[in-house]
Amino acid sequence: MLKFILKKLIQMIPMLLFISFLVFGALQLTGIDPVSYIATPDMAANQENLDLLRERLGLNQPFLIRYFNWVGDILRGNFGYSITNGTPIGVLIAQRLPATIELALISMVVSAVLGISIGIVSAIYQNSPIDYLGRFFAVLGQAIPQFFFGICLIQIFSIKLGWLPSSGRYSTYATPLRHFILPCLTLTLSLTSVLMRYSRNNMLGVLNSDYIKTARMKGISETKVYVKHAFRNAMRPVLVILCFRLPMLISGSVVIESVYNWPGIGSVITDAVIAGDYPVVMVTTLMVAASILIASFLVDVLTALLDPRVRLGEE
Amino acid sequence: MEQKDIVLDVRKLNTSFISDGATVHIVKDVSFQLERGKTLAIVGESGCGKSVTVHSIVKLLPQNARFTAEQVLYRRLDEKTGGITEFDLAKMDPKGKEMRSMRGADLGMVFQDPMSSLNPVYRVGDQVAEALMEHNRGMKKSEAREKVLQMFRNLGIPDPERRIMDYPHQFSGGMKQRVVIAIAMINNPEIIIADEPTTALDVTIQAQIMELMKELQLNMGKSIILITHNIGLVAEQAEDVCVMYMGRIVEFGSLEQIFENPLHPYTKALLRSVPVLGLADDQKLETIPGATPNPASLGVGCEFADRCPERSEACSAKNVPAYEVEPRHRVRCIKFSQFKEVD
Amino acid sequence: MELNKSHASNMFQKNVRKFLRNKLAMIGMVVMLIILLMCVFAPVFTSYRADQPDFSARTQPPNLPHILGTDKLGRDVFSRILYGGRYSILIGVTGAFFGSLIGVILGAIAGYFGKLIDSAIVRLSEIFQTVPNMILILILGAVFGRSIGNLLFIFAITGWMTTFRIVRNEFIALKGETYVQVCEAFGMSKIDIMFKQILPNVMSPVIVATTVNVAHFILSEAGLSFIGVGVPSATPTWGNILNAAKSLDVISNYWWLWVVPGVVITVFVLAVNFFGDGLRDVLDPKQQ
Repeated sequence: MLKFILKKLIQMIPMLLFISFLVFGALQLTGIDPVSYIATPDMAANQENLDLLRERLGLNQPFLIRYFNWVGDILRGNFGYSITNGTPIGVLIAQRLPATIELALISMVVSAVLGISIGIVSAIYQNSPIDYLGRFFAVLGQAIPQFFFGICLIQIFSIKLGWLPSSGRYSTYATPLRHFILPCLTLTLSLTSVLMRYSRNNMLGVLNSDYIKTARMKGISETKVYVKHAFRNAMRPVLVILCFRLPMLISGSVVIESVYNWPGIGSVITDAVIAGDYPVVMVTTLMVAASILIASFLVDVLTALLDPRVRLGEE
Repeated sequence: MEQKDIVLDVRKLNTSFISDGATVHIVKDVSFQLERGKTLAIVGESGCGKSVTVHSIVKLLPQNARFTAEQVLYRRLDEKTGGITEFDLAKMDPKGKEMRSMRGADLGMVFQDPMSSLNPVYRVGDQVAEALMEHNRGMKKSEAREKVLQMFRNLGIPDPERRIMDYPHQFSGGMKQRVVIAIAMINNPEIIIADEPTTALDVTIQAQIMELMKELQLNMGKSIILITHNIGLVAEQAEDVCVMYMGRIVEFGSLEQIFENPLHPYTKALLRSVPVLGLADDQKLETIPGATPNPASLGVGCEFADRCPERSEACSAKNVPAYEVEPRHRVRCIKFSQFKEVD
Repeated sequence: MELNKSHASNMFQKNVRKFLRNKLAMIGMVVMLIILLMCVFAPVFTSYRADQPDFSARTQPPNLPHILGTDKLGRDVFSRILYGGRYSILIGVTGAFFGSLIGVILGAIAGYFGKLIDSAIVRLSEIFQTVPNMILILILGAVFGRSIGNLLFIFAITGWMTTFRIVRNEFIALKGETYVQVCEAFGMSKIDIMFKQILPNVMSPVIVATTVNVAHFILSEAGLSFIGVGVPSATPTWGNILNAAKSLDVISNYWWLWVVPGVVITVFVLAVNFFGDGLRDVLDPKQQ
């Protein structure tokens, strides 16, 4: 098990390096000269000053050297500064990333619990009213645009009923929990639908498999068949899907942050992209990629705990 | 033969499946008797309903299956007192307590594909022990472990102390099938149902597994229902034979009766299509003309009529009953209508 | 050969019958076609242009000349939805098509050649899988600017992984088949073997995956345009129409500006998904 964890951890390093290289390279292609943002108008008039600034920021060095300097800086905890307003990027991330991670992580857990349990109940009571209802919501949940669902919730719960705030994370008039409910619900919708569908289909597949027949042939109770024999097997592919969908959760949270003015990393990236603030874009993207890699690592570990074939390194 | 020697008495078992709103009859009026301590082989082409028949007996059918039977009578023998207790499986709720107490304890089953018959996420030892503990509440874990080890040794699984800790994917196909047999046997059930137990295995392993089953039967007095499409296997293993075609038992009799004196044209064709060692050079292996019909589009009358070399008008007029041609030898063919009709 | 052909056409008829019996799939197909045709023949259904402001008729609720009301500039919402649908559907279909095209080509190469090429492309797909689409789109949008063409490019290069996985796995499985080896022994060119001999066998799941992607990209376009980084706002796509609903004022006072386009997107995507599920049942019953 320890070997498995180590192997997975080591595998993450080249992935991160490659992603950082891609991000760094892509932003070099924009051709945006960061100096043009930093220099004040009177400074910009003086070419010497500009060159000096360029020198100081290390912008004259060859591409690869700049890349390695940048990676080295990040590893030392020096994330650099925003070129539009000089804020240390580390501070920016410390302020904004937790809000996104909180939203994404809790939504992930909520949709996992909801989606998997409804999916499994649907499978056990296949073709019953519960199953039809579950499937109906699963299909609907995948078809509604997230932001549209968010707007509907705002209209109902904020404007009409006045129960929940429509924007922000903290305020004097509502508890953080009440601020959290609508964004979380919105983000949960599509992932829940996906997981519901997958758990149902997998559970159905597993319930038709031979080893479930073997288990039933031992005379054990149906509950035990479901809980002990079917569940663990049905969960593995669901976790893989969960892993694949994590980036989508972040994508979704970018949109949802916009709907609810949620002060997360999404709006930082959006603003930075529009302003051409590329040190910020690079570091935040890297952070998001790293968070996803860590989350998928955790899902991998969970999968290995569930399935000895993964744990023992065989497929 | 006395009634108490018949461990399983199946009468008029019918199973149909509902798909796309249509009902398809897969097993039709199947009746047979399994003698205590003997092996009954059910033979037929794939899709003839032999597997559905045994799954109906243990009541492990998919949701869309519909099952009726006049009776599926199981007579349990108390080894100490010699007394007989009767249970009608047909009347039991498939998911109920009563039926569950039969499965594993009185009825063991070995499935076709050992590769998928074991739960991939649990240790094989635990999987065998689970069957044991289910019917022996309060048994100590160490005691269960001892029994599992003993069973592994009996089944010729080498190094059992280490192997019980392994997962199914660490076992070969033949070894997996031994584990499946261990699960079926661990509670010492009276009836073992083996649903094509060797189809998925290599030929050499097939022989080993079949020898093992024969041994278990001889030494422990088990009654076995063996499902197969391998006629050679039937000749080696069985005392009684059921020949099934399109959901019906077309012929039933002892091994000698069926092999020496096959009556039904389908049985004859089936026997002629088997390669025999020492087949003369000029002797050709025969095939059965035509293809297996679609069970959904079958009309009344004998199911084999379309492919039968001896068919007559009357074959398709009405469903053909079974006729008892000699004691215990029954055939469902209109040519024998002069004999006594049995159900 | 004759026999084979009649067998194939029997299969086809059987599949068509199976599809026709699937009520949800049929409803999906009909709804999808109705919306599609209304968008394509928009001028038949509305006399207004999508970008025609009418300051005398601003933010009117649904009434007779404007059956779905007008927006803040007095543009007719109904005709904006119809003309917007042209762009949204086109973006979804083209994006999904090119995504699948890339997926098929890379999948065929990776699956057929295996070894180093395979592991390199698989790694690449994993990386694309890890970076959130949205962020990739944001960055690429910054690099290439905002336009429909660029959005399509971005959809294509972020939407190839599913098809890739399907095609690659099938190729690996089929590579060992005797008929492929026979083709190789006859000296058929690798390209011919890949695209003429193996590829037709994997087309069914690819078609299904593409259908699913059409729905996915229509949703993506709407999301991106909604936050203002998708299609330039002058083009009336479904997402851009909904972009108006970013203010609480619009949400609470002018429901027809956001409820109607939102419901249209939902219904269309729902219809495409039902259609896709029906196709999957017919073409690719293994996968669910």
